[in-house]
Amino acid sequence: MAAAIVAGDCREAARLITRIENNELGDPELLQELREARTTAPVIGVTGAPGCGKSTLVDQMVATWRAAGKCVAVLAVDPSSPFTGGAILGDRVRLQRHASDPHVFIRSMSSRGTLGGLAQTTSSVIAVLAAMPWDLIIVETVGVGQNEIDIVRHAGTVVLVETPASGDAVQSFKSGIMEIADIFVINKADQEGADRRVQFILEALKNSALNPHRLPVVLKTEALSGVGVPELIAAIEAHVDYSMAHPKIRKLL
Amino acid sequence: MTAAHSPIRCLLGMLGTDVHTKGIRTLAQLLRDAGVEVIYLGEHNTVEGMVSALIAEDADIVGVSFSSAAYVHYLAQLTTLMKQKGVGGIPLMVGGLVHAEDHEQLRQMGIQGIFGPGSQLQDIIAYIQRATGKKLG
Repeated sequence: MAAAIVAGDCREAARLITRIENNELGDPELLQELREARTTAPVIGVTGAPGCGKSTLVDQMVATWRAAGKCVAVLAVDPSSPFTGGAILGDRVRLQRHASDPHVFIRSMSSRGTLGGLAQTTSSVIAVLAAMPWDLIIVETVGVGQNEIDIVRHAGTVVLVETPASGDAVQSFKSGIMEIADIFVINKADQEGADRRVQFILEALKNSALNPHRLPVVLKTEALSGVGVPELIAAIEAHVDYSMAHPKIRKLL
Repeated sequence: MTAAHSPIRCLLGMLGTDVHTKGIRTLAQLLRDAGVEVIYLGEHNTVEGMVSALIAEDADIVGVSFSSAAYVHYLAQLTTLMKQKGVGGIPLMVGGLVHAEDHEQLRQMGIQGIFGPGSQLQDIIAYIQRATGKKLG
């Protein structure tokens, strides 16, 4: 099965992902085999509050990379119900135009009770995707708050999506999510307050000792119309190149 | 290792130009409340897109809702493509404004879950459990 997945068999991959999610993976060596077959495809994390435009931005990112001939996998996590365990996994609604593209693989995932913005099995699912012939892997988190930062452990490049209404200077220099972004995106930038929000973040970044090598980038986008998307793509690609050249820049507790 | 747990994954969506989403959104929420993982595709899907989603999501069952009479046409395309792509064995249910006189034709396509006006949630849930061979709650 590993060989089929490494060759790009989406159906086998989809079935294996289900087994991983369900903790029904009988063969732990299979996962090890896939981890050893890891390609160099970067993992791009997209995180931010509910409704800030993550999925719409992911749609634009996929469209841009597809137009450049790249093959893209998207893993989109949405929350599970604390009452029933059920879920509405709705990220595909924004990604619909890519559904029948054979060079795009989209998988929706329930957090299944995990609170850090991803599911417990997300890292193993990323390992499956990373063994396949994708040029890029995008992982979209649950809509998160200040403390849901699991994505930083699994994505080499983290894009934090905000809106002009995401808060003032005090919100900008708090710990947690404001510290993990490699790229800050103020989406819905046509709304009032976008430039002010950019300034708050830039100010907070300048005063932080965390990023001696490379300051995160702060950008404005309008995901629905695509304004700012080329700059976002350029910033992601620049960060991917930089982190490949400097593999140990990120140290977590 | 956490215990094995296999929730029902149900793909829900609409095909073509039908925009009446009230029914399918209501069902999505009711199924969530029953413990189902609903992969919600919304409206305006193509048959090809829906079958690709079904394969990538490895869903246990598919539900399609219609408020227009185009359902016979679309469901014929959908069942044909599902068979072609090797996922013809995944149960397919249809809901919405489905007329009684079309039930036989839909059954001939292999559609067993037909939920027209007046359908009860408990019947839908019973069908989903029977068709997927998985239990809820």
